[in-house]
Amino acid sequence: MSEAVLARPAAVSLRLRPSSGLLLVLGLLLLWEISARTGMVDSPNWPPFLHVLAALARDTVSGEIPLLVGSTLARMFAGLAAGTLAGVAAGLIFGASRLVRRLLGPTVELIRPIPIPAIIPPLVLFLGLDDAMKVTVAAVTAFFPVLTNTAQGLRAVEADQLAMARSFGVPAHRRLLRVTLPAILPYVLAGLRVALALALVTTVVAEMIAGEQGVGHYLVLMQFAGRAEEMYAAVLVLALLGYGLNRGFVLLERRLIGWFYATGRDG
Amino acid sequence: MRAERLLAPLPGLLFLALLLLVLEWAVGEGLIRRALMPPPSAIWEVLRDLLLSGDVLPPLAATLRLVLIGFALGSAAGVALGTAMGWWGAAYRLLEPLVEMLRPIPKAALVPPLMLFLGIGDMMKITSVALAVTFPVLVNTLQGVRGVDRVLLDSARTHGWGTGRALRHVVLPAALPFILAGMRTSLGLALIIAVLSEMLTGQGGLGFLILDMQRSFLIRQMYAWLVILALVGLALNALFAWAEARALHWQQRQ
Repeated sequence: MSEAVLARPAAVSLRLRPSSGLLLVLGLLLLWEISARTGMVDSPNWPPFLHVLAALARDTVSGEIPLLVGSTLARMFAGLAAGTLAGVAAGLIFGASRLVRRLLGPTVELIRPIPIPAIIPPLVLFLGLDDAMKVTVAAVTAFFPVLTNTAQGLRAVEADQLAMARSFGVPAHRRLLRVTLPAILPYVLAGLRVALALALVTTVVAEMIAGEQGVGHYLVLMQFAGRAEEMYAAVLVLALLGYGLNRGFVLLERRLIGWFYATGRDG
Repeated sequence: MRAERLLAPLPGLLFLALLLLVLEWAVGEGLIRRALMPPPSAIWEVLRDLLLSGDVLPPLAATLRLVLIGFALGSAAGVALGTAMGWWGAAYRLLEPLVEMLRPIPKAALVPPLMLFLGIGDMMKITSVALAVTFPVLVNTLQGVRGVDRVLLDSARTHGWGTGRALRHVVLPAALPFILAGMRTSLGLALIIAVLSEMLTGQGGLGFLILDMQRSFLIRQMYAWLVILALVGLALNALFAWAEARALHWQQRQ
């Protein structure tokens, strides 16, 4: 899940030297393994951890899991791209115009708190069970955090910079491109980081509730089929995806807006 | 001044009313298929009946119960663990790898396994909500506790304050803005997971009803419950914002 915008991404380092924390994790995994094998927890829902890893390896090599992950990610990114573009555009208009803010504000505030899973049933009516519905779910997820952050960023753009650009005779479209957009980029990215974690959740949720696509559907299918090993393998895949996406985003963010942190403006 | 503040949302509300009127007209003209989007007036009739008959209350109470209990338990766990990890280096070293492993799991993915162990009752749903709430609160609490001004802590020690007193009167108040920011994120997640777990288990409150009405082609009912859920989300957010502003009144004044 995501931390609040307030929280900077923690620099996570992969330390392999034995620490109490690593031992705890290994100990818990060992306990899982032993409890499942010796019948301490005698349940078909509690397979040994190694069997879960084996199922993961099997389905990865067979190509089933890569295919599912690919289809989930494709829908998620398509939705993220659309939602981000729409969010930035709407955020710029919202941030720039008090009138628009006053006119549309209450409507946005009324729609925003609807939990995303609840909009899936009506979207199914309009868009069906497949790609169009799921991409829209991801897009709606991304739209609101990006909108809020863009509008906030726009208000934080230093008036001095804009005034200077104006007095140097920089035309309006170049001011937008060269001054405003770079200045709001850190805010947009902060919104996008929240959106990224949420979009993975909502895309998977949409797959769980409707249709027969992606990792989410696989997870629920395995639960119904009573194939616990595959089910846990799917949870593991999603955990890795969540971790990988967040790490990737942090790296991207440091490349794109290293200057923002370097000038210490994030405090 | 007061009248101006009361009038401020007026243009926005008028716009919303206009939007509904346009929708009513478009559905009436057949521009939008009635089977997909009934006119707002028809949804309002269902909504009014639900409200007047009191039928709205049992599902509403069921969902609110999940959200509130799960939110409270998850927040308490997050604050306790985050404070311990931020204060004691040993606790941090012990728990950090485990937290970093569990945190990226989309908590929605835990609902199916939890259903296997805890069934489809409230126990499972509350656990799911609490798990989703714990981690953002934990991470923010940790950050807040670590960011406490050293000078404040040193002066507490100079005055001979023990750990308990310093935690209660220095560390937690200083970390409060962070904790509340984490809780604000978590409140939205709590609603998402509550609705999802109601949908997946096929029983319970608002989430189940919205999905069930769609599958039964009771489209007006589906929209009516959706409106109720939106209002619940709005009310919970507003309530939290109000509580946050009260808890942080000293921060605003600075």
